[in-house]
Amino acid sequence: MQHAISIHNLVKEFPRKSEPPMRAVDDISFDVRTGQVFGLLGPNGVGKSTIIKILTTLIPPTSGTVLVNGFEVVRQSLDVRKNICVVLQENAVEVFLTVRHNFLTFGKFHGMTTSEIEKKLGRIVELFGLEEILNQKPIDLSGGMKRRVQVAKMFLVDKPIVFLDEATTGMDTFNKRATVNAIKEEAQRGRTIVLTTHMLEEAEELCNEIVIINHGKIIAKGTTDEVKKLGLQLFYLSLKFNELKKDLEEMMYKFSPIKMDIINNDVSLTVRELNTAIQILSMAQSSGALKHFEISTASLEDVFVELLDGKKRGAA
Amino acid sequence: MKNIAALIYRDTLIRLTSLMWLFFDMAVPLLYLLMFGVGFNKAVGFGIHTFGSSIPYNDFFLAGVLSMSCFGSAINQAYGFFVDRDNGIFYEFLTYPMTRGELLLGKMLFQCMMALAQTTLTLTAAYFILDIPINIALLPVTIIVVMVGIAAWFFALSTIAFRIRRNDTFNTVINVAYFVLMFVSSMFYPLDAVPVWLKYISYINPLTWHTDVLRFTTIGVGEIGIIGIEAAGFVIFLGISFWFARQALKKVA
Repeated sequence: MQHAISIHNLVKEFPRKSEPPMRAVDDISFDVRTGQVFGLLGPNGVGKSTIIKILTTLIPPTSGTVLVNGFEVVRQSLDVRKNICVVLQENAVEVFLTVRHNFLTFGKFHGMTTSEIEKKLGRIVELFGLEEILNQKPIDLSGGMKRRVQVAKMFLVDKPIVFLDEATTGMDTFNKRATVNAIKEEAQRGRTIVLTTHMLEEAEELCNEIVIINHGKIIAKGTTDEVKKLGLQLFYLSLKFNELKKDLEEMMYKFSPIKMDIINNDVSLTVRELNTAIQILSMAQSSGALKHFEISTASLEDVFVELLDGKKRGAA
Repeated sequence: MKNIAALIYRDTLIRLTSLMWLFFDMAVPLLYLLMFGVGFNKAVGFGIHTFGSSIPYNDFFLAGVLSMSCFGSAINQAYGFFVDRDNGIFYEFLTYPMTRGELLLGKMLFQCMMALAQTTLTLTAAYFILDIPINIALLPVTIIVVMVGIAAWFFALSTIAFRIRRNDTFNTVINVAYFVLMFVSSMFYPLDAVPVWLKYISYINPLTWHTDVLRFTTIGVGEIGIIGIEAAGFVIFLGISFWFARQALKKVA
């Protein structure tokens, strides 16, 4: 199986004055198969962007082996850069040039001629809905639109590997949806896409495989289904009542759900065992006020929270 | 080569978005020469005594204006890294398929193109309006010396720009450096007229070397032996500056 990315025993430490170095990435190993949408997940500040910076040759690793499309990131950094394009976490657009000129300059940096750029531009503009702003300067655009231009640029060039670091951050729902759809379409064309996000719905929708990182270490990896099934047996229960009584609410709390939200007479909760879910359901049923229920396996977000909490509990 | 062309294309597009910026880029050295030079020329009507002869101040000051504009252009281009950093595009550049050296060379070549236009304008005005007896035969050499000056200062100032995170700190450092380098050099006055200690300090200043070489190629003032040493020193300064800038750029992310 060909790997677009191979990471083995990656460590990244940042030196600090009169303190031991800060270990941002702590002995991480994983592979990304070619043609996959791969997600690096985790809360903010746990090392995701540091890994992206190493993979895109912005910073060198302290130790370990990192190959991108078969090229080693330190010794063959130029070859790595010839095979990638990157949306960094920071906004990166030419604010004084028009959106069209942003595409033109970006394409030229990636070796395209003006006519090649113009030929591809129509499809990208349509895909990302940029028709109306093509002749505007990003300095006059909202943060979300700037971000969309930044992401759209990546799909102008045919690089085998695309890195998207928190690509949809700052976008409104409409922009986000358009971007997610565009990423899906590009993934279907066979490109390897590595994205970092703390938005789990996005990862669940887009990714074939994920790793969850916390404090620089991998705490879970696999397909989204595998991660959801990590022996955690989390179940999601949605209950709608005609009237939610206080005593019933208190009884549900006694089952120690991982998460419990109450909005008016609607309750949604996540629990660890199917038996627990059934017990809560039968209790709700016997109250006589239940009008609708749903039971399903928990979302990636619930698993994610449980994994992070589990690590905290383990550490304590 | 494609990458360098792309950088020049990009910087040209950006410069063309502000015609006022473009105008001042082109006209500042010329204005300096016309306003400061002409005023001073009148004030010191007897001329400047250097290397055993007396020459009009305008003639003397021309090389100073050229080297000053090289330094000023290099400051602008190095400061551009802060603008790019603020817009985030700088880090994206570092992921493009080009070497760090190509990034520096592309930026430097764009500024050289600007300097070429700037120098042509300044020399034309100096020759036709101020009647400065420019050595036409050495004009290509003058152009090369201007470009080498831009390159050396750009690399040196870029090293500082890469090592400093804050643009206000960069501005302060550059202002102080510019002030000291300008007045401890042969830019405004001949060094044979200044106190000995100042003369010695001025001779370890690359701005003096660059100005002296330009003065020799434009109006033929200077001793060829000393000029040769200064030219060699400046080329070494260029090489060292490039090496430091490249190293600093590698560590910038």
